[in-house]
Amino acid sequence: MTNKIVSLKEAVEQIPDGASIGLPGFSIARNAVAFAHEMIRQGKKHLTLSSCAAGIDAELMVAAGAVDHFIYSAGTLDKYGLVYTINRHIDQGKLTTEEHSMLSMELCYLAGSIGISYIPCNSLLGTDVLKKLLEVAPDKVKESRCPFTGEKQVLLRALQPDIGVVVANYADAEGNTVVEGPYWNIKEMAHASKKILVIAEQIVPESFIIQRPEMTMIAGVLVDMIVELPWSAYPTSVYRRYDYDDKHLRMYTQANRDEQKIKDYLDEYVYGVTDHFEFLEKSIGYKALMEQMAGPHKGY
Amino acid sequence: MSDFRLSEMMVVCASREFKDNTCTLIGIGLPYVAGVLAKMTHAPNLTVITELGAIASNPVDHAIGIADPRSWYQAKKFGGFLDTMGMILHRGRCHVGLLGTLCIDAYGNINTTEVLVNGKPRHMAGSGGANDIASRAQQVMVITRHEKRKLQETNHFLTSPGFLQGGNSREKAGLSGDGVTRVITDKAVFEPHPETKRLRLRSIHPGIPREEIVNETGFKVEVEGVPFTEPPTPEQIRLIREVIDPQRLYT
Repeated sequence: MTNKIVSLKEAVEQIPDGASIGLPGFSIARNAVAFAHEMIRQGKKHLTLSSCAAGIDAELMVAAGAVDHFIYSAGTLDKYGLVYTINRHIDQGKLTTEEHSMLSMELCYLAGSIGISYIPCNSLLGTDVLKKLLEVAPDKVKESRCPFTGEKQVLLRALQPDIGVVVANYADAEGNTVVEGPYWNIKEMAHASKKILVIAEQIVPESFIIQRPEMTMIAGVLVDMIVELPWSAYPTSVYRRYDYDDKHLRMYTQANRDEQKIKDYLDEYVYGVTDHFEFLEKSIGYKALMEQMAGPHKGY
Repeated sequence: MSDFRLSEMMVVCASREFKDNTCTLIGIGLPYVAGVLAKMTHAPNLTVITELGAIASNPVDHAIGIADPRSWYQAKKFGGFLDTMGMILHRGRCHVGLLGTLCIDAYGNINTTEVLVNGKPRHMAGSGGANDIASRAQQVMVITRHEKRKLQETNHFLTSPGFLQGGNSREKAGLSGDGVTRVITDKAVFEPHPETKRLRLRSIHPGIPREEIVNETGFKVEVEGVPFTEPPTPEQIRLIREVIDPQRLYT
């Protein structure tokens, strides 16, 4: 077996400018934050991102000017606010988008994951969401009728990002990957992608995986690169590992409302540190970080 | 009549519409309080589903949203969008969807995508699961503050379908379900006219003057002869204040 375990820096070095990337987060849960930071530090450009409910990972890469095109369904940081920087880039014409519903985007990934070229969907009909998709992505979305029942449907082209990034609770050295808790689109997004990068909170021995194989979301044979990096989603949460950081998210959603403040944020927390551990030291510190650890009972 | 807040009136109006042994897709906030109130009163077997994959959970510790693990507590199943939005909602097994909105038009169409500020479009949140819920749930309820800018004749952007242009246009577009059957505000409850599908007043909350409804609604409404909304019972008020939302985070 080839060694798939690499550092985050090495994994990101493999990703070329112009790549399309599937992100694993949902709002303030399970964002690929450490990944986004490293992409920005390495100066990646002209990326296409896809994210079901855009969070901090997507927004930081947009803020850094790394992203040309964004495929998503909603942008929200829950009670903390909206993804104001992404919105500002859209309003200013700096970012092109394909905006889906949650399910239509999921179905694009599902088609991609099982290798069919398109999939029908009965959402979107009659709305401006569909009208706009037909305008901006006529090669990916069509209105049609079911050949069997005649009912109106939307046909969605399969979505297969170059790289699917997964923030996992555990993975073994082969890449057998465990994601605990609700997983929204992560399973389909990963399997749709041409390459899978797993960022695991912890690398576990194979003996751990084979005790409960039903817990494995992605079979190791499909995984290309594995990074072991605890707290990689901080300040967002990873179920059964750690909670989101209320204080940092409050500070973040003050910064992302303002063009200069989000630049200052990037300077301080992304460009101003060399790696994720330095970011953790600077943004929260060991003592407060330990208080974010999930309890064994409730999972947060 | 017991003393109540208008937010409590909204919660009670939504809660009444949940039937026992049914399935609902809701978010956190007022919709969540309404769902829990229904479970604690007339619908103990209501199954609450959050779109990202937690089914039949009992949210704790003042969950802030569906991405907060506090709202996944004691779930009976964890899965993903295929389990919730696919095999339940798109399959036609979600009885009621309860949605919030930025704006709603006279035919119950929802806009959560972009609004005009000084004539320029400003991007907001997008659809998320709302379009899917509005397209595929058997029945949809919308809960919103009652302000003229939020209730307009037509929307700048149609994110999630109500009755589109009215009449049978929803059905003709290929959409299933009964569409938006209730719009619950802090002043009144709307329902669609059975034929035209245009929203009309079903009831006005006690204490709200009729001219206030006319002034604060951006589309034409008939207020004459509209009955008052049945006020919350003392028990419903007690449950909201003492058990479900004692810190008044949502109400």
